[in-house]
Amino acid sequence: MNDHQPVSIIMIEDDEGHARLIEKNIRRAGISNDIHHFTDGTSALAYLREDRNGPSHNGPALILLDLNLPDMSGIDILGRIKAEGSPLRRTPVVVLTTTDDKVEVQRCYDLGCNVYITKPVNYESFAQAIRQLGLFLSVIQVPDRTEG
Amino acid sequence: MLAGLSISERWFHRLVLGAIALGFFVLVSVGAMAASAILQNQAQIGWINHGYHVERAIARYRVLVERLEAARRGMLLRDDPAVAGTFASTAAAIGPALADLQRLTADNPRQQANMAFAAKLSRAHLTTLRRSVALVGLGRRDAAVAAFNSDQSLPLIRMIRSLCDRMTAEEDRLLARRDAEQAQSLTRFYIAFGVAAVLLAIVGIGSIWIIARYTRDLSASRDELRLLNAGLEGAVAERTIDLQRANDEIQRFAYIVSHDLRAPLVNIMGFTTELESAAAQLARMMDRVEAHMPELVDQAARIAARDDLPEAIGFIRTSSDKMDRLIKAILRLSREGRRPLTPEPLDMTVLAQDVADTLRHRLDEIGAEMRVQPDLPRIVSDRLAVEQIVSNLAENAVKYLNPDHAGRIEIRGRTEGARAMFEVADNGRGIDPRDHERIFDLFRRSGVQDQPGEGIGLAHTRALAYRLGGAVTVESELGSGAVFRLTLPVTFAGEQGPKA
Repeated sequence: MNDHQPVSIIMIEDDEGHARLIEKNIRRAGISNDIHHFTDGTSALAYLREDRNGPSHNGPALILLDLNLPDMSGIDILGRIKAEGSPLRRTPVVVLTTTDDKVEVQRCYDLGCNVYITKPVNYESFAQAIRQLGLFLSVIQVPDRTEG
Repeated sequence: MLAGLSISERWFHRLVLGAIALGFFVLVSVGAMAASAILQNQAQIGWINHGYHVERAIARYRVLVERLEAARRGMLLRDDPAVAGTFASTAAAIGPALADLQRLTADNPRQQANMAFAAKLSRAHLTTLRRSVALVGLGRRDAAVAAFNSDQSLPLIRMIRSLCDRMTAEEDRLLARRDAEQAQSLTRFYIAFGVAAVLLAIVGIGSIWIIARYTRDLSASRDELRLLNAGLEGAVAERTIDLQRANDEIQRFAYIVSHDLRAPLVNIMGFTTELESAAAQLARMMDRVEAHMPELVDQAARIAARDDLPEAIGFIRTSSDKMDRLIKAILRLSREGRRPLTPEPLDMTVLAQDVADTLRHRLDEIGAEMRVQPDLPRIVSDRLAVEQIVSNLAENAVKYLNPDHAGRIEIRGRTEGARAMFEVADNGRGIDPRDHERIFDLFRRSGVQDQPGEGIGLAHTRALAYRLGGAVTVESELGSGAVFRLTLPVTFAGEQGPKA
């Protein structure tokens, strides 16, 4: 991770249970970074763009994004994050969702998603996937906004 | 309305037929009438000519008689051999002329009576003249002249003249009557001809009117039919689109539902696992407490930690596993339903043999055999879908063989018109006829449940067959094997209508 500022993890996930399981397994992988959890797209976008402590103004971040949200499609959020001119364009986005439709996966990558992970229903596989994601997070280089 | 129409139509048809028959009848009778009129006319002209002939014959006879009289008088005046020759030749001609007249008037009894009188007069006249001429020949001219003044020749010739006039008048009368008759028959002919012409004209105009009306009706109904046809095609297309839309809707619904069901399932399974590890911790703790401070452990807590918790967790786990499998199956079905079909020519013998080969290992294990008919019909269809159907049916046949006797499975087929029929026949345990429809339902199975599976295969198979424009049916009795029959169009043209 970056030396001077810790990377915060922003999790946009409407299912509290999933969020809890993801968080547990990330912690089990030894990742202790802050995790900000949002259950809907609107407040997540507000935080991402406006909040003083949010990634647009302060510090590097990594976004965990679920595609099935109550108020808007995760695809929309992905589109806005990765849009031309967005301050968050270089922020890595990991799409973590139940949808494994080929077309959806392609669309996410087309929009600039960095990693696409399907949530396996089987918990062992799920836990495994999250822990591996944790290992991945521990080595990943996240760009600082100010460096951009 | 329809019945009334048909009755009036029938009457109309009769009328048309009657009119046409009448027209032809009139034509034929006009022809016959014309022929008979011409024949009659000819006969009448013949009779008129005959009348003229008779009149001419009378005139000839009269001329001869006059010339004979003149010749006799000439001979009385001077002795000239030329005149004598004339008398002789004329006298000789009288007989034939009379005979001619006799023959010509044979048809008329009144003229016959005149003729008899004429013959008598002529004979008497000729005799008188001959006597007078004979006297001249003997040189007794004076006697002859005296006789001339006193003999009967003058009154005789007068009588002959008046007789000839009467006969001519008689013939004139006949001629006049015949002329009148001819004129009358001509008039009759013209009247009949006129009537026939009018009738023909009426029939002709009527026929043309009927034909025109019929043609108009025909083209009107043809247009109407075309319109109806177009409407029907439109309705069918609309219906097809509706069906397709409904099908797409169901597919989308299944997809969304199965996705949304997965999310809570992730939680159930995840937290069950968490619970399990927590319970394991508790059980270990219980073990330690029991080992060191047994007085702290009561029976209820021990049972809860060692038996109840693991049991409950176990049930939750198996149930959610099962639910996971079902949801996956629905998802797979819905994904299959959304997959676009691409028809291509398929060698079904090769395809079925490939399916049999993939089952070879299992068949050898249970000592069963699968035979593929070497000349299965070739079809044009979606390869993956047909493969799945055949392999599903073949797998089922292998799965539900009767362990009591050697399994035999046969894949056979034939073409029936535009459809190909394939059968997977086995001698396995068979299916109760009551379950024949049920087995094609999702998650439904039949018979002894000793084989793994969710009850999806046949539902999937039937859905695929329907999509390919075909069907899957079963014929079976419990205990005596089953025949699954797949019918498919020989050439599958691809799906109609929009596809989501």
